[in-house]
Amino acid sequence: MASLALTFGSGAMTNSIADSKKTDLFFMVGSNPDTSHPTIGLRVHQAVDRGAKLIVVDPRKTKLAERADLWLRINPGTDVALLNSMMHVILEEDLWDKKFVEDRTEDFDEMERVAKKYPPEMVEKITGLPADQIRQAARMYAAPGRHATFHGMGITHYVTGTDRVKSIANLAMLCGKVGVEGGGCNPLRGQNNVQGACDVGALFNSLPGYGSLDNVDLFAKYEKLWNVKLPRRPGKPATEVWDNVMTGDIRGLYIFGEDPAVADPNISHVQSALEKADFVVVQDIFLTKTAEMADVVLPAACYAEKDGTFTCTERRVQRIRKAVDPPGEAKPDWQIFCNLSKKMGYDMNYSSAEEIFEEIRLLLPQYAGITYKRLDIQGLQWPVPNEDHPGTAVLHTESFTRGRGLFIPEDYMPPVELADDEYPMQFTTGRDLARYNFSSMTGKTREIDDISPECFAEVNPEDAERLGIKEKDTLRLTSRRGSVTLRATITDRSQPGTIFATYNHIESLVNLLTLDALDRLSRTPEYKLCAIKVAVVDPI
Amino acid sequence: MSTINLEINGMEIVAEQGLTILDVAKRAEIHIPTLCAVKDKNSEVPCGLCVVAIDGMDEPVRSCVALAKDGMKIQTDTADLKKVRQEKLALISSTHFGDCKAPCNLTCPGQINVQGYIAHISKGQYEEALRLVMERNPLPFSVGRVCPRFCETRCRRILVDEPVSINHLKRFVADWCMLNNVDLKIPREKLTGKRVAVIGGGPTGLTTAFYLARKGHNVTIFEANPKLGGMLRYGLPDYKIPRDVLDFEMNMILRMGISVRLSQKWGIDFTLQDLKDQGYDAIMLATGAGIDKPLEIPGGRLPQVLSAANFLKDVAVGKKRDYGHRAAVIGGNNIAMEVARSLLRQNVDEVTIIYPRSQEEMPANQRIIREAEKEGVQFLLMYSPVQICESDGTNASACKPGDAGLTVELVRMKLGEPDARGNRQPEAIPGTSNIIHVDTLVSSLGQMACYEGFKGGKLEEAIEITPKNTIKASPRDFTTSILGVYAAGDAVNGTRTVIQSVVAARRAAENIHAQIMDVDKAPADNRFNFTRGKSFDQVNLSNFDGINIKLREKMPERPPETCTQDFDEVKLGFNEQMARREAERCLECGCSAFDSCDLKRLDIEYNVNINKTGMGVKPVYQKDNSHPVIRVDLNKCIFCQTCMNSCEYDALEVTAARVDDNGTAQGLKLSFNDKCVNCGKCAESCTTGALQKKAAYVPIVHEEVKEVRTTCPYCGAGCQLIFKVKGNTIMEVCGAEEHLAPNYGALCVKGRFAHDFVGHKNRLKKPLVRRNGQLVETTWEDALEIVARNLFDLKAMYGPDSISGFSCARASNEENFLMQKFMRTVIGTNNIEHCARL
Repeated sequence: MASLALTFGSGAMTNSIADSKKTDLFFMVGSNPDTSHPTIGLRVHQAVDRGAKLIVVDPRKTKLAERADLWLRINPGTDVALLNSMMHVILEEDLWDKKFVEDRTEDFDEMERVAKKYPPEMVEKITGLPADQIRQAARMYAAPGRHATFHGMGITHYVTGTDRVKSIANLAMLCGKVGVEGGGCNPLRGQNNVQGACDVGALFNSLPGYGSLDNVDLFAKYEKLWNVKLPRRPGKPATEVWDNVMTGDIRGLYIFGEDPAVADPNISHVQSALEKADFVVVQDIFLTKTAEMADVVLPAACYAEKDGTFTCTERRVQRIRKAVDPPGEAKPDWQIFCNLSKKMGYDMNYSSAEEIFEEIRLLLPQYAGITYKRLDIQGLQWPVPNEDHPGTAVLHTESFTRGRGLFIPEDYMPPVELADDEYPMQFTTGRDLARYNFSSMTGKTREIDDISPECFAEVNPEDAERLGIKEKDTLRLTSRRGSVTLRATITDRSQPGTIFATYNHIESLVNLLTLDALDRLSRTPEYKLCAIKVAVVDPI
Repeated sequence: MSTINLEINGMEIVAEQGLTILDVAKRAEIHIPTLCAVKDKNSEVPCGLCVVAIDGMDEPVRSCVALAKDGMKIQTDTADLKKVRQEKLALISSTHFGDCKAPCNLTCPGQINVQGYIAHISKGQYEEALRLVMERNPLPFSVGRVCPRFCETRCRRILVDEPVSINHLKRFVADWCMLNNVDLKIPREKLTGKRVAVIGGGPTGLTTAFYLARKGHNVTIFEANPKLGGMLRYGLPDYKIPRDVLDFEMNMILRMGISVRLSQKWGIDFTLQDLKDQGYDAIMLATGAGIDKPLEIPGGRLPQVLSAANFLKDVAVGKKRDYGHRAAVIGGNNIAMEVARSLLRQNVDEVTIIYPRSQEEMPANQRIIREAEKEGVQFLLMYSPVQICESDGTNASACKPGDAGLTVELVRMKLGEPDARGNRQPEAIPGTSNIIHVDTLVSSLGQMACYEGFKGGKLEEAIEITPKNTIKASPRDFTTSILGVYAAGDAVNGTRTVIQSVVAARRAAENIHAQIMDVDKAPADNRFNFTRGKSFDQVNLSNFDGINIKLREKMPERPPETCTQDFDEVKLGFNEQMARREAERCLECGCSAFDSCDLKRLDIEYNVNINKTGMGVKPVYQKDNSHPVIRVDLNKCIFCQTCMNSCEYDALEVTAARVDDNGTAQGLKLSFNDKCVNCGKCAESCTTGALQKKAAYVPIVHEEVKEVRTTCPYCGAGCQLIFKVKGNTIMEVCGAEEHLAPNYGALCVKGRFAHDFVGHKNRLKKPLVRRNGQLVETTWEDALEIVARNLFDLKAMYGPDSISGFSCARASNEENFLMQKFMRTVIGTNNIEHCARL
């Protein structure tokens, strides 16, 4: 999200899911909504059924890839080169939207300078895509029409994740595809309330509503309302915390609803850090692996047991409502925060989730016009500047949130860990349709286990032949960080040289393999790609 | 957009051009029934229910295909149309084969949703199971121990092996909740300000009080004895219902907010007039039938001749008394059996039950007779007492001096000629006298509500009674001869089972509520019911193909030799594993789509009599459980093809091999293809119970279900979904309305099914702290104290930036906001982050 915030001024999906009805062309980069966002995937399929064009950039042969008008089976981690090269073609062939660029953007020259360095013939070698395919993609995307880009974690879960998103934004601005119904740049958020957690300021580098840590006026406003002096020093991103615990700079951890002991990349490092920390408090609904290592565990109510709001990927703020009582003495998280604050001498006195929301909308201009009462009818898409405003289905229609859209060109950087002699295969991960994260929630439903009993390592037939792997063989996958054992399935969904596995089965912790190298801007880990070696072993 | 003007049922409507009449009516909120129209599609064999009459046309037309035209005059609900629909529905219904309600549910006098609570048990939802029982029976502990189990006699599992042990399961959930100290939190409606006096704290009084209190009335129970319970406490001994269990049950009822006045004897301590003067809006007589019919033979009033009620009460209150070595009990009812068993527990060596007919003709439940027999009670059958005398021989010539206190002269009986009704009354055989010697004799000849009317005041004396010495009350609304005074239970019917008292009391409560609030009584449950066979011989055995024999769990019980030594409970109850195994024996006869079936709803609306029009008699299709989330029973399929037409993935197909002369589809096939993503929408769209979600197998019969719209907790799509909530359990999750962004009714497999974690047993229920290396449970106070102290210390020693917070991208905006506020204000650091990237 960090990149779209820089380029457009709002780090969020520019358009709406319902826009898919109007989209003429989908440019899907590193996103497989069929499994990650199934109801959105459905709308894309329906749009293709009615005749919308589809370009899919994905090393995996996904269902959408099979249906695509153009499927770019790209080498993993080389999207920036492709995107730059597409811009190269568009500039070279004079296909760009000059009026849009002139009226609504800045720093075009910078972008042009970088794009020039990526002729398709050169990029062919990086991406493994024939130059013709790159040209064709560029022409299709730049052609007139409502063209939407969609990207998912296949783009952001890389060290160069933000570069890719910026490159996608550059491409969209160059072709004038932003600010129109059916177009735009549409990141698909992985979790139910990633958008909301960012919106309300659970970020180390900004105040709620993306307020900058050097905005003096904003600080004055907050300090007056909250009646306390607030820290100006930027905090540490979550993924850097573990190193800081190991060095002794961080000693106390308050972990709310997260399970870094299985979710983070390079989890053995995280587990040592959890052991080293002086004090760890975990607030969760289950005794997770992380909670097992905590000093204090606070039992929380889950989404069905409390009131509140989530903000979904299309910026839509929607209600959750209490349906049942929490078990035993578990409490809604907001009540726990209130009680603990009181204990620590700062009075957070809220009698309901709605009261907290009222404070949020007082502070967040995007949320100013949203009330619980309005949400009872239907969720609203921010920005909603006042109570009469219907919400915003499409961002940046007149001008960008930041005024002019900013071209921020990025050069291609190869993935951090490439295959080599010792670790000759590439390894990448994705989500299982029936499962979510590490199955602490989905794993409690019997039918889900029936549908998806285990995760498989997907091996391309060529590799299987070469390495002597047969269907259902047990494989040990080893990276520089750890190893996991899981069974193989032979399928051409995986690209030759690449093994894919879903990360949702707690029994097969594929994040033991993945990298904790971080993106420069957002500090996102490189979950999606690392180098491994493969051995067939005896079944466990 | 061009518009047209037309008229439906006399209402002028402006509509968009190009819509069908059905769509136009729907938008105008005029209801036209249909079983098969889905958007612009319908069945290959259309249901034909959506017919309407158009002025100027001879025949009715199907509104799902006929386009609305300018100037049309349309009628949707004429008598002719109703008749057409009724015929169509009868035809459709004749192909539908299944049970709406399970036989156990239908047989239970309390109409309890038996299959429902068994299904809850099989899911481990014991608390919800008990809540479901308490919907219709507030005495699950007692009934779970003493019920004669009408339900089990009709359990279809009998046709496979043995009936499900339904009553033991009921007892299990009650005991489980007691053991785990569960507060059921049964909600009470808004207070009405009305006051009701209930005279009698037995099953009838308690039940009336419970349901009236639930309705928000202010209820006071007046009980003559020092403790509540009535015959549960003073008529049923400890070994049947232990006192601590009974106390727990009473407290659970009183939690509803009921006042109790103990040791208040009606007619002595207070009168009906007193209650009226105190302003009670209604008075309920629930005094039971606690007076024994007298033993009217010579010697029947000797001091060693006791009445059953007095004897059992003495036992219940622990009165010490020597009953000697030998005792006899006159009578063959359930109470006589408990008297005999109690006598055995009072160190009486030999207890004999004397009864004028054979054992099979005893009114007592055969199971209870067997229990008494097993414990060593003897039976002297076909005998009747003639006279009793003290053994010194002073009273009667036939009596000889003996070593026992009483000499009882008996006469042998035979069955007489059938009377007009065919009953054969026992008759004495002259000259067949026999004699037994006993120390104690207890007579149990049946019980009455009163002995020649009530006393204490004018109103009391005016209460009309029946020749059987019970109170005369209307079976329809439970009113007595006195205005504002109601009666139900044993006081009206004579001795019945506890569950029958419960049912009467619940109905009485409904009537009292309706009358004091001056509202209509809630309509009785509709009797409409599809069935696979009313009696066992009507049920085709092919219904049970593929079901393996699995005998019922054995109830653990103490051996008779030891259990007669004390008054401790004889039957020990199922443990959890046994209960789960037993619950899994349930054949799930009743339809889990009971609450959502459109066919049944329309059959009722159009008054279709399926007994006359015919319905299936045996299964035609094999049930199919091969789909991971859906089970298919084509016997219930009416070929509306709604499943297929609502599927947005084009993932299933329902076909018919042919259409017969009547116009019904035959040779049905349903298949899923590889486009199926297990989203479950087809089952949600099914108009009957042909496609059902595997997980939603708890039938909702008449229970209140709350629908709560919320947002899916999984991916970032933000799908809107609906929880169907009963009690404290999410029964089912459905897609929200089709017009609602962002998902427009669609959900994925997670959104519709993966919510079991909410009620999962591994959820954290108490705060934990680490002590001696172990995480142990503690109080909130303690846990927060420890967190506060440690965070303070770290902040003081190493500064605020030595603490880092992880917020949660799955939690709400409000909570993320407070988490960052906590870190920034209380701790004083910007070390706050969440897993946006995971």
